[in-house]
Amino acid sequence: MCYSAHTKTRLYPVQLYLPIAEIPVNMFVIFGMGGAVGFLSGLFGIGGGFLLTPLLIFSGIPPAVSVATVTTQVVASSASAVVSYWRRKAIDLKLASMLLVGGVIGSLLGVLLFDLLQQVGQLDVVISLSYVTFLGTIGGLMLVESVRAIRQRKKGAAPRSRRPGQHNWIHGLPFKMRFRRSKLYVSIIPILGLGAVIGFLGSVLGIGGGFMMVPALIYLLRVPTSIVIGTSLFQILFTMSAATIFHSIGTQTVDIVLAITLMVGGVIGAQFGARMGQNLRGDQLRLLLALLVLSVGVRFAIDLLLVPEDLYSIAITKGAGA
Amino acid sequence: MTRFFALLVIAAWAAFAVQREPAAEELVTAISSDTVSIQSNFTGTAIVIFGQVTRDANSVGRRGKYDLAIIVEGPAQNITTRRKGRFLGVWVNRHYETFQDVPSFYALASTANVGDLGGRELLDEYQIGLNHLNLAVTGSSGVPLSERDDFRKAFIRLRQEQGLYSEQRQSIEFLTESMFRTTVALPANIPVGSYKIKSFLLQDGSLLSKTEQDLAVAKTGFEQLTFELAQNYSALYGILAVLIAILTGWLASVIFKKD
Repeated sequence: MCYSAHTKTRLYPVQLYLPIAEIPVNMFVIFGMGGAVGFLSGLFGIGGGFLLTPLLIFSGIPPAVSVATVTTQVVASSASAVVSYWRRKAIDLKLASMLLVGGVIGSLLGVLLFDLLQQVGQLDVVISLSYVTFLGTIGGLMLVESVRAIRQRKKGAAPRSRRPGQHNWIHGLPFKMRFRRSKLYVSIIPILGLGAVIGFLGSVLGIGGGFMMVPALIYLLRVPTSIVIGTSLFQILFTMSAATIFHSIGTQTVDIVLAITLMVGGVIGAQFGARMGQNLRGDQLRLLLALLVLSVGVRFAIDLLLVPEDLYSIAITKGAGA
Repeated sequence: MTRFFALLVIAAWAAFAVQREPAAEELVTAISSDTVSIQSNFTGTAIVIFGQVTRDANSVGRRGKYDLAIIVEGPAQNITTRRKGRFLGVWVNRHYETFQDVPSFYALASTANVGDLGGRELLDEYQIGLNHLNLAVTGSSGVPLSERDDFRKAFIRLRQEQGLYSEQRQSIEFLTESMFRTTVALPANIPVGSYKIKSFLLQDGSLLSKTEQDLAVAKTGFEQLTFELAQNYSALYGILAVLIAILTGWLASVIFKKD
């Protein structure tokens, strides 16, 4: 952890003291980060937590504060999007509430683990390893898929729409429930499980998890595409609200000043991103996003594998500032 | 203005001190401000410490160089120092050492190099100098004795890099033969709490006089409110954070509504 970057920025007039992180930051830098990630999230239709958390960590905000605060920022960005999906009635409330039940449980477990890891000093490495794993896998899959799609388009072949069979192993599970809005009749086990996994990862890694939730809902549960994004956002909104509250109580690392600065930058950036996104092709967008996801993953991997600049680190365990 | 006032206080004090038959030499000190408040625009500050060496008839004739050491010390903390090691090809925190009740902030201003101020025993007793800090470890440490010093050194180095530990040699300025002044910088990342300012008057390696003063570093206004809320009413703080986030998101969707 490097705090020194912040004490050197005295040249700039707009310094903002973060009451929970207990360091001053340059307000424009944080605002800009929120704006840039907001722009990308508007462009790609993602929450952006998986980009914002690493950015904050790399810029010297303690990982614990970064993760907890980004959950709050994700609440703001998903709330803004949920409103428009709500107006279009593109949300399956019943499905979302079932996902939410799992999500809240997962998020609670996540905060407990987070607290434990922080105490034993292994939080940073777990966050890094998880980022490498998830971003590497998902970025890789997206890269392959988008390159294939672009090649097919160049060849002039009509893209094969994937239409797998109507049933898979998931449809054999018990405790089925009917979801009219999504025209589904499936077991609630995978729904609760999916919600829990996303909630868990969300609170440990500071990500909304939309980039995992959306494909899972489409490919595993066969939720109609028109409803997927609204439903996923709705569930993320509530899971991340729960994660914010759990983090506030459990780890006390939510920095509201940092969160507000990020939020304002984020919601403005998202508007510009969304407008620009309309002029780009879907497969091009996915290729760009894949490269972005991969590069964040690679950055974490490098930090884990290279000999660290400083082998030693210190953390306050009791007393002022602990 | 405050400096002038402080000087006046010292002068008055000195006059008073002389009257009530002090020890041979006595030290009087004052600080420019006894509270440092942290607000949203806080980027660090500095405090000025003034002082005077008073002498009585016995010591006036005694000519010699006085040495001064002034320590600004923050509230105690337990701090864990960890060392990374390779584990399955990945660098992770492996060994650690927890130092107990170490100062969260330590700045030493002196008139000479630490080693020239006094003997090791004296320096250790009053913890004058970074190398003389009492860094006690917890019993649970798994670090071999031979490597403990590495952890101590790393700890002091990292705290110096953060600007929380410092040694400023020859940073005390004598205004007259007996009046002195020094400035200690408090960086932006100083922890809050009650600080002690300890001043030592030394000559030829022996302690003549010492003083101790309190300095409070506290968050004020919004910063304090936020911090207290987060610490003591954490559920309420969390709910407020969520409400603010939802409101911001909703406002954005209203402002940028596409028509």
